[in-house]
Parts: sequence; structure tokens; C-alpha cells
Amino acid sequence: MSAGAPGARGPMLAVALLIPIFAVNALVFFWPTFNLFKMSFIRGEATGALTDETTLANWTGLFRDSFYSELLVSSVTISLVITALTLVLSYPIALYLHRARGLRRTVLLVLVISPLLTSAVVRTYGWIAILSDGGLVNSLLKALGLPAQRLIFNTQGVVLGLAEILMPYMILALLAGFGRLDARLEEAAATLGARPRQAFWRVVLPLSLPGVMLGCLLCFVLAVSSFITPKLLGGGRVFLLATEIYDQAIVTLNWPLAATLSMVVLIVFGLALALYARAARL
Amino acid sequence: MAGATSADAAGEGFLSLRGLTKRYGGFAAVDDLSLDIGKGELVAFLGPSGCGKTTSLRMIAGLIEASAGRIAVDGRDLTHVPTYERDMGMVFQSYALFPHMSVAGNLAFGLEMRKLARAEIERRVREALALVHLEALGDRKPAQLSGGQQQRVALARALVIRPSILLLDEPLSNLDAKLRDDMRAEIRDIQTRLKATTIFVTHDQMEALTMCDRVAVMNRGRLEQLGTPEDLYERPASAFVATFVGRINRIEATAEGDVVRLGGEALRAARSAHGPVELMVRPHRIEMSAGAAAPPQAQDGPRNMLSGRVARSVFAGDLQHYEVEAAGRLLSVERSTVSHEPPLRPGEAVTLSWRVADTFMFERAS
Ligand SMILES: Nc1ncnc2c1ncn2[C@@H]1O[C@H](COP(=O)(O)OP(=O)(O)OP(=O)(O)O)[C@@H](O)[C@H]1O
Ligand SMILES: [Mg+2]
Repeated sequence: MSAGAPGARGPMLAVALLIPIFAVNALVFFWPTFNLFKMSFIRGEATGALTDETTLANWTGLFRDSFYSELLVSSVTISLVITALTLVLSYPIALYLHRARGLRRTVLLVLVISPLLTSAVVRTYGWIAILSDGGLVNSLLKALGLPAQRLIFNTQGVVLGLAEILMPYMILALLAGFGRLDARLEEAAATLGARPRQAFWRVVLPLSLPGVMLGCLLCFVLAVSSFITPKLLGGGRVFLLATEIYDQAIVTLNWPLAATLSMVVLIVFGLALALYARAARL
Repeated sequence: MAGATSADAAGEGFLSLRGLTKRYGGFAAVDDLSLDIGKGELVAFLGPSGCGKTTSLRMIAGLIEASAGRIAVDGRDLTHVPTYERDMGMVFQSYALFPHMSVAGNLAFGLEMRKLARAEIERRVREALALVHLEALGDRKPAQLSGGQQQRVALARALVIRPSILLLDEPLSNLDAKLRDDMRAEIRDIQTRLKATTIFVTHDQMEALTMCDRVAVMNRGRLEQLGTPEDLYERPASAFVATFVGRINRIEATAEGDVVRLGGEALRAARSAHGPVELMVRPHRIEMSAGAAAPPQAQDGPRNMLSGRVARSVFAGDLQHYEVEAAGRLLSVERSTVSHEPPLRPGEAVTLSWRVADTFMFERAS
């Protein structure tokens, strides 16, 4: 820090630096969200036209129709399953990457991130090619004389596809949270008599929890809000909040209901974030 | 020095290294290291940065695999035994305390791995905390401790499991001078009380000489000499040891037998050689008297003599440092200031003399 009054300049500078991000957020996040909030209290016509009347009907409708509570429960459950699967698949990779050094690390990191260079839509079609009835897996099963499996256009397909799509995010979040995980600590555990398995449960896993929580929060939020992959891989049989919002807004043109459901998703995010903040403090 | 162990019968130390080698590609980080350490002995590994001290220690602990050689403790071959079965306590240079556990949790870890009863663990953790004077801090997390306190926790964590071998990798390098002195005394004290066979890695020669029973001097992956501090100082086995441990004058010359001609004068050394050599003598072994007059031959054996002229004189508290020009070279001489003799002034003619027995001679690659 330069001479003068760093104490007085520090906060001013911080505020100045925060202005751009605040402005962007206000413009593209807070303002539209506020509008969605307002819209969730507006009565819409069956034609899709918006009226000037305010109403609580959109909200009370959610509580009256059990379809929506089921939608909420299944969305959260499937997202939790996807998050858990993504974590289990990503953790060993992240741990290996964390320990790798030099060229090997660089190459592997690029490999991990490279799926992000392809659109999720393309990757979803990739899964269709692999998992569909005439796809790679079932052709193989058939060649081996085994019965074909229904792998796609159901919940299982959505879980598998989204888990794969979310893995790069999970791995990056895990790596970001592995800061306190030092190879020396595992060595110290070994000199104290800990077998590799004991060292993992007592030292490695606890120290990697910040990364685990961060990755889970990120993937849960992304899973709840994804709609392209569930739509394509669910084959119209898997109903989730995000796909329903899409249908209400684009197909049925019931914008007030879509806005209300969006608010519900926002509340779910808020709860997830609160849970994360609580867990992260421990 | 060594207690009665089964290893003694085989003529080996309690800890025995034979031809221990670690190669990285073509480069030997540790090259053919063989030594024996007695039970309860404190041995320092001393050497310049990169000489292979840490690598040796990590091989002994089993954290890296040796490219060749054998490690045995109390006659049992441990070369291929995994770290967690070696029963060696280690203090890492970076401490490596578990950040998510309390101080007491850190100390209990090794005991829990040994599946001791809860009550026994608590008792030994309390004892270990008392040993390093940290009774009040058992509930703190490592991040809430000062560097010196973390250091002591690391030491206590290694000691509490009562390992057969204690390995300390530069455990004091991050401490200030005062704390370092205290910790040296404390480590020595604890080590003696527990009779822990200990290797202490350092590149601080004062540390090695003052606290350890014996010192292993390493250079470029090789063991140069293993001996008592006095051995290293008075009977260095190589030019490297002579120059690395303590201050010394180096005089390049050509030897014919045990005689070296320097300008007009003949100097003698404690051994003989032929060809290019370096003569070495420690500054405080040189006696200096004013004038050209030869001092009477002392009683303690033959002496070398050179006449010269004081070039520089520096006061350094207990000592007065001189640089004396003699036989076309500058030699360092140290005199105690205790005697109240007036210091010699630059330009004064002096006569230097020292025992032939204090004159080391080493071959020099030409
Ligand atoms: N994994 C490795 N790959 C290649 N070379 C290595 C590796 N580890 C150590 N070395 C080399 O081996 C030599 C000895 O290293 P070591 O860490 O044992 O030195 P040291 O004596 O402990 O030094 P310091 O006093 O600086 O800690 C060094 O030259 C180092 O560069
Ligand atoms: Mg080292």
C-alpha cells in the first residue's frame, strides 16, 4: 500500500472497483428478477395476453394443484441425485489433478475443461447416439446376446447426461476448494501410522470438504436450472421445474405462471445458498 | 553409546543404512550412503542446500523409494516396508500439522492409529503437551499458534507415539534466534530423556556441532565424514569438511612429501602427499607475535613459522580478527581479546606460528 491514508483510500477504492459489477448485475439480474416478481402477481389471459389486474391466483394455484409440489420435490430430488453422482465421478479425477504436476497437470486440465468448449446441446445428442435403443450400448448388448436396456428418455438418461455435462464444473470447483490439501499432510499421517485408507478418511476428505461443498452447490444450482438436456434426454417423460417454466413461457405462453415458477426456483437457490453458507462456516 | 540391542551382534547400529542411493534420471540425489547410528544417539545431517539431506530422510521414513541400498532398524530390514509400518516419528520442515484438528487432536492422531484406549490416549496427549510446555493450548487449532508453538506441536506429535526413530528435517529453520536456542536445548533434553534415536537435518553448522553426538557431513549426495563435532573440527577427512565446518585458511601449494615450499619458507603438514595440494589451518590456531623475532619452540610438538605484516585488523567482541600478509598471501588470524594486550596495528611486522599437527593437507585437482 502506498504512503498517505490507506485506511481512508481502501474502502473508497473497493467501492469504486465494485461499481461495474454492481451495475451489470443491476441491469441483467436484479431488474429482470424484479420484473419477474411483479409478473408473478399479474393475471394472464388464456391467449397469453397480460392484463393490468393483480392477483394471487398464480401463487395459490401452485399450492392447490399437487402437480406443482410433486414437480418441486422431483426437481430437487433428481438434482440432488445428479449432484451426488457428479461428485462421486469427479472427486477422484480432481484429487489426481490436484496431485499432478507440470505438463501432465496442464494436459489433463485441458482435457477436463475441453467439454465446455462444446455446447451442451451437442453433447446431449452425443448421449442420445450412445444410449438410445439403436445406440452404441444397446448394439453392444445385442451383439453379446444380452437383452436391450431402456437407457434414455427417462429419469436415468437425464441423470446420466447431466452428470457428465456438469463434471467439468464440479472438477474445477473441487480443485478450487482443495487449497488446504497438502501432500505433506498425507505423508505426516503415514509416519504416524495411518494406512492410505485411514489417511483418506481422517485427513484428505475433511480437508477437501470446502471444495466438495462448493462443487455441490454449483452443480445443484446448474442441475435445477438446466432444461435443454432434461427435455432432450427425458423424452417428454421427465417433468422438472425448469422444463415446466420453459413450456409455460414458450409453449403455453402463460408468462405469469412461468414467472411464479421462476420465483420458486429462486427460493430453492436461496435455500441452497443458505445451507452452503451454514456448512461452510463449520 | 549404543544400548544392548540385537543389532549390535551383527556389528550394525540400531539404525543402519547400506549403500542407500536415490537417482532422479541420471542424477544421484543421494549416492551410496552407508552409516550406523546407535540407540539413543542424536546424529546431525549437515551439508549445503541440495546435498541430499531431505532425500535421505524421506528414504529412511519410506516416503520415497530408494533406487538401491538397504535400511534396517534393530536388525530388521525395512527397505520395502511401507511408511505406516516403520514406526518413525517425523517432524517436517513445514510442520505439516493437520489444520482441521485441534492441537490435542493432532497429538492423538498417531495414538488412535495404534488403537490405544481412549483414556490412555488422553493421558499420553496430556503428557506430551506438558513435555513441550503447551498444556494450555490443547484446544487451539494450529492456525491459532505462533511459529514456535506449531514447531513444538509438530515435535510433540512425533514424540507422543514413542517411535523407534525420530527424524527432524530442519525443524528450527523458521524460528528466530532466541526461540531457536531454547528449542535446541528442549529437543536435546527431550531426546535424551526419551532415549530416542534421532536424525537432525540442518545446514546450520553451529546447530549440528553444539547439539549432536555425531555429525554426518554430506556433499553432492555423498557422505563426506561421520564423526563427533571434535573429529570434524580437528580431524577433517576431506577438504570439503575442513572448509564447511568452521573457518579455515586455505593455502594452495605443491607438496613434496610432508613438506610444502611457500616463497622462501618451508611448511610441514601432518601427512604427506605429492603434487598440487591445499594446506589448511584454522585462524584461531595461529599464534601471532609482534616483530620478526622467532618465538621459542613450544612444548606441544614441531611448529610452522611464517613472517608477515598486518594488513587489516577488525574488532569483533571476544575476538580480534586480523588479516596478515605472509608469503604473498593473506591469512586470517584470530586472537582473543581477553588478555588486554593492545591490538596489533596494520603495517606492523609479525611472526605467525602454528603446530604442524594443526596443518591439514588435502590433494587438489590440478
Ligand atoms: N523429485 C525430484 N526430482 C528430481 N530431483 C530432485 C527431486 N527431489 C530432489 N531432487 C534433487 O536432489 C537433490 C537433493 O535434494 P534434497 O531435497 O535432498 O536436498 P537438501 O539437502 O535437503 O537441501 P536443502 O538444505 O535445500 O533442504 C537436489 O539437487 C534436488 O534438486
Ligand atoms: Mg531439505
